[in-house]
Amino acid sequence: MKLFGQLAHLFFPRESNNHKAKILHPSSLVILTFALIFYQALLTFLPQYGPRVLGYAANISADEVIRLTNEKRVAVGLAPLQLNPTLSQAAQAKGVDMLNKDYWAHTAPDGTQPWKFFIDFGYKYRYAGENLARDFSNASSAVDAWMASSSHKENMLSSKYKEIGIGVVEGDLAGVDTTIIVQFFGSTYADTVPISPVAKVAPKVIPSPKPIVLATPQPTAPPTPISRVLISPFNSTKGISLATVGLLLGVLVVDGVVTSRRRIVRIGGRTFAHLAFLGMILAIALILKAGQII
Amino acid sequence: MKNFAKHLPHYLALFGVLIIGALAFYLFSYDRSFQTAVAIAVAIAYVAWGTVHHSIHRDLHLAVFIEYLLVAALGLVIIFSLIFRT
Repeated sequence: MKLFGQLAHLFFPRESNNHKAKILHPSSLVILTFALIFYQALLTFLPQYGPRVLGYAANISADEVIRLTNEKRVAVGLAPLQLNPTLSQAAQAKGVDMLNKDYWAHTAPDGTQPWKFFIDFGYKYRYAGENLARDFSNASSAVDAWMASSSHKENMLSSKYKEIGIGVVEGDLAGVDTTIIVQFFGSTYADTVPISPVAKVAPKVIPSPKPIVLATPQPTAPPTPISRVLISPFNSTKGISLATVGLLLGVLVVDGVVTSRRRIVRIGGRTFAHLAFLGMILAIALILKAGQII
Repeated sequence: MKNFAKHLPHYLALFGVLIIGALAFYLFSYDRSFQTAVAIAVAIAYVAWGTVHHSIHRDLHLAVFIEYLLVAALGLVIIFSLIFRT
């Protein structure tokens, strides 16, 4: 009975809470906000000081990424890209390098450019490009994300590229177990007709200065994840966010109906305005999906 | 409901801002910096709307302003958490 009273005090407008559900009081909103910040801090520091339980489960195959990429190209009338095993090896090496050096960028902290991997594996490129993706659960969502970004889409739908190589690596990146997709595009001097004049070089498409053939290095194995993935940082954040907003929306609806029926006059914000704003937050929380591209 | 009908033009303006904000998130998915800017802009617009609306109706109090501010802050924390974790 006491618990019921406490719950009513928290979620239902009545005399004990000055006719406004306690959870809608400024003090409760502050507590909720700090609780959410605390959870984010926990997710950030847990990998450093606690067990490695954060990660993104994924089922991504290189073949599927190539198939979907070529599907997009064919749809706009471009020729499909040919799989080049050398490019795939280079892409795999780039992914492993990111895990080993713990960075998420086109350029490594030591200044290594993506093009170095092309050269290291003996790919004499005329044009080269790179797309990166991480934290996606499947190939389709990663390809869709690239297509939604103009610069990545430009790479995928460029007629300058003739070949493709995909590297899919799994491992620990900044304390989170994840899957990185490295998409390398290229064309060699042999399979491109010289374009004259070259008016503009698109971003991430760099003509090779002087291709150098070096001994083909083998990608070193990425660090093995220490333990099994238990918690997805994004999904758990999304779940907690949806629960918080859903709860507040429900309480606001009840609060609005009760105060309207009882003709309670009080100093406070408009219930409809709060409902609309939190409704937008709910919509955004539903729209956002896991996965990063650069 | 009467209150809602009475302030319909005000609410339509607010709904317009919020719908544009949500649409921007949908159309510019994976553009984190743009989404961050949109989230901040919508939160500021929401607090400004509350301030102007209550000011016009002569019932603007510090408690009301703080309430809008806290709801906006809570919303921003939720959006930033999700953007940061995507």
